[in-house]
Amino acid sequence: MKVHWFAEASYPHLPPNFRETGLSSWVTTPAHLHDPYEVGEMCRMFIRLMQQADREGFDGLAVNEHHQTPFAVTPSPNLLAATLATTTEKAALLIIGDSLALYNPPMRVAEEMAWLDCLSNGRVIAGFVFGTPMDSLYCYGVPPLELRERFHEARDLITRAWSEPEPFAFNGKYTKLRYVNLWPRPLQPRMPMWVPGSGSVETWDLALDNDYCYGHLSFSGLHSAKPLVDAFWDYVDEKGIEANPYRMAFTQLICCAETDAEAEAKYAEAVKYFYRNRYVHPGFESVPGYRTAKSMQSMAQHAQQTTSKLSPEDKARAGRGEMGFWEYDKHGFIVAGSPETVRQRLEELAKDLKIGQLIGCLHMGNLAEEVAVENTHLLGTRVIPKLKHLWTEFEDRWTPTPPARGVRASATPALVRNRELARA
Amino acid sequence: MQIVLETIGTTPVRSWTGGQGAPLFYLHGFEQHPGAASFLRRLTEDRAVRAPEHPGFGRSGGFEALVDISDLVLHYRAVIEAAAAQHGSVDLVGHSLGGMFAAEIAAFCPDLVRKLVLVAPYGLWLDEAPLPDPFAITLPELTKAKWSDPEAWTAREPNGFAAGDAPSYDAYRQQNLGAATKYMWPIPDRGLARRLPRVRAQTLIIYGADDRLVPPVYADAFSRLLPNARSVILPRCGHLPMIEAEDAFLAEVRSFLG
Repeated sequence: MKVHWFAEASYPHLPPNFRETGLSSWVTTPAHLHDPYEVGEMCRMFIRLMQQADREGFDGLAVNEHHQTPFAVTPSPNLLAATLATTTEKAALLIIGDSLALYNPPMRVAEEMAWLDCLSNGRVIAGFVFGTPMDSLYCYGVPPLELRERFHEARDLITRAWSEPEPFAFNGKYTKLRYVNLWPRPLQPRMPMWVPGSGSVETWDLALDNDYCYGHLSFSGLHSAKPLVDAFWDYVDEKGIEANPYRMAFTQLICCAETDAEAEAKYAEAVKYFYRNRYVHPGFESVPGYRTAKSMQSMAQHAQQTTSKLSPEDKARAGRGEMGFWEYDKHGFIVAGSPETVRQRLEELAKDLKIGQLIGCLHMGNLAEEVAVENTHLLGTRVIPKLKHLWTEFEDRWTPTPPARGVRASATPALVRNRELARA
Repeated sequence: MQIVLETIGTTPVRSWTGGQGAPLFYLHGFEQHPGAASFLRRLTEDRAVRAPEHPGFGRSGGFEALVDISDLVLHYRAVIEAAAAQHGSVDLVGHSLGGMFAAEIAAFCPDLVRKLVLVAPYGLWLDEAPLPDPFAITLPELTKAKWSDPEAWTAREPNGFAAGDAPSYDAYRQQNLGAATKYMWPIPDRGLARRLPRVRAQTLIIYGADDRLVPPVYADAFSRLLPNARSVILPRCGHLPMIEAEDAFLAEVRSFLG
C-alpha cells in the first residue's frame, strides 16, 4: 500500500468564537481575520513537514487548490509543488489537483505540471479537479452549467498537449489555440493521473474509462464513506475492470502518539478546531446546475445508507466540533492512538474499503508543529513499514516510477508514441 | 388561458396563451413562469397574450444549444416572427431576467418590437448599487428581498409548475434557477449597456419601490441608456409588481400600450 502525506493548510489563528459569529469560512471570510506574516510562518511549517515526510518514507506529498478560505491557504498547488520539487528527493508530488476550469488557457496546467515533472525528475502525479462550488463557482465565477464542460475540454487539451508529438490546432468551445506545441514535455512518458469525486457515477466513469486513480476525498470518515466506496467497487466489477486497490485513494485524519492517552491530550483541540471552523454559508455549498440529476439521485440514495451508522444529528455535531475525541475516532473521522493502534486501524480500513492509496492527513487545524513532526515520524518509522506488504499482489500504475538516469532523451513523447505504434 | 406545447424549429416551447387582438408577448423572470396568473389573464381581455417559458425552464427545451445572448435572441426571434409578420410588430413585456431578454430582443431586432415594457429588469450593473446574489442568499433572505410584504405573498405566488414537469416543485425550481445562471452568473451583465442605445421601441420601465433584488436606482440607469424611455416606480411592491401591485401595474401597462 502507498501512504501519502497531506494537510489542509488551515490558518491556525482564527478567533475562538469564529464559529459562533456565523461567518462563512469560505468565499466571504473577512480578510482582517488573518495576518500575512502568520501565513508565511505556517506555509514554511508545512514545507518543513513535507520535507520530513519525504525523508521518512512517505510515498507522496499531496498538495491541493482552494480559494478565499482559512480552511486551506493553498491558492496554487503548483507553487507549493515547485518548492517541494527541489527540496525533496523521493516522494511523489501528488498534485490533487489543479482546478482545470480556472486556468485560462488551460495550457497553463499542461506547462506547469510538465515543468514540475522535469524539475522533480519525474515525480509528478497529475490530479484534475472540478473544484468545490465555493472555489470554482463563487470565488472564480465559472458559470455552474459550464464547469463540467470546461473541465473536460481542458482535460482533453492538456492530455493531448502532453502526448501529441507534433504541433496541433485546438478548436474548443472555450479555448481556441492555433498552435499547441508544449515545451517542456513531462519527463514521465505518461504521468499518473488522478481525479477526486464525491460519489457521482459520472466521475467514476471518467476515472475508470481513462484509467485514472479515483480519490474519495472526504473528512467524514469510514462510516460516511463505506456505502459510496462499496458502490464504487461494485461499479468497477460491473464494468468488468480489475478491482485493483491502487486505483482508489482515500483521505484519513491521523493522530498518532506513543500512547492513546497522549494522543487525546495532543490532538483533541486541533481536531475540534479543524471541524468547527469548516462552516460554509449554505448558499455557497451548492448552486442550481452544479450537480447533475443523476448524481443527486445516487448521492441521496447513499446518504440514506450512511445514516444507519452515523445519524444526521451526529454528523452535524461532528461538523460543529462538538464530538468527543474518541467519538470522532469511533466514527472514523480520525484514526487516533499509539503506533500499533493506528497501524491496526489503518490496515482494517484499507482492507475494508480496498484502498491502495491512503492520503494521511498528518496535520489538522491549529496543531503545533512539534506534534505534527512526531505524528509524521511515528507514521514514517513505525506504521508505514508495516503497511507496505498490503496489496503487493497488485500493480500500482497510479504513482510515478522513477525513470532511470539517462533515459530522458529516449523518453520524448514522439519516440514513446512511435514505440506504441510499432507495438500495435 | 391555454397551455400550448409547440415545436419551433427543433425546439419545444411551452406557452400560456389567451385573448384576441394585437399581439403581446410576456417574458417571465429568473425563478419561474407565473402560469395563468391573474395579471396575465386580465391582459388577455383586450390582447392576444402569449407567454412562453424560457429555454431550460419547465417544459421548454433548446437550452443545450444556447451559448450566449445572441442564440437566445435568435430563439425568441423565431418565437415572435409569425405574429410579427401578421401584425407588423409586437409588444414585449419582460420581467426580471425576462426584462433583460426583452431589451436584448428589442436591441437586436428593432423591426419586431412595437412597444417595450421592462419590469424590474436585470441586465445592468452599477458598482455603486451592487445587486445581491440571488443564488447564494438563503431562501428567507431571498423572500425578504423580493417582496414588499413577504408574509402576504410568499405562499401565494403563482407559478407554472404542473405535475409531470419535474419530480417535485423543488426539482422544477432547481432546474429553472440552473438555467437562469446561464445569463446571471456570476453577474447579470452580458453587455446590454452597449446595446440599449440601439433600441428604437418606445419603452416603459417599471420598478417596485421596495425591490431589493434589483433596486429602483436601476430604473435611472435604463432610462439614461434607452433613447425613448420613461420610468415609473410603483409603491408597496418589490421585485414582482405585477403580482403585488396588480391593479397599478395593469393601469400603467394599458395606458402605455394604448
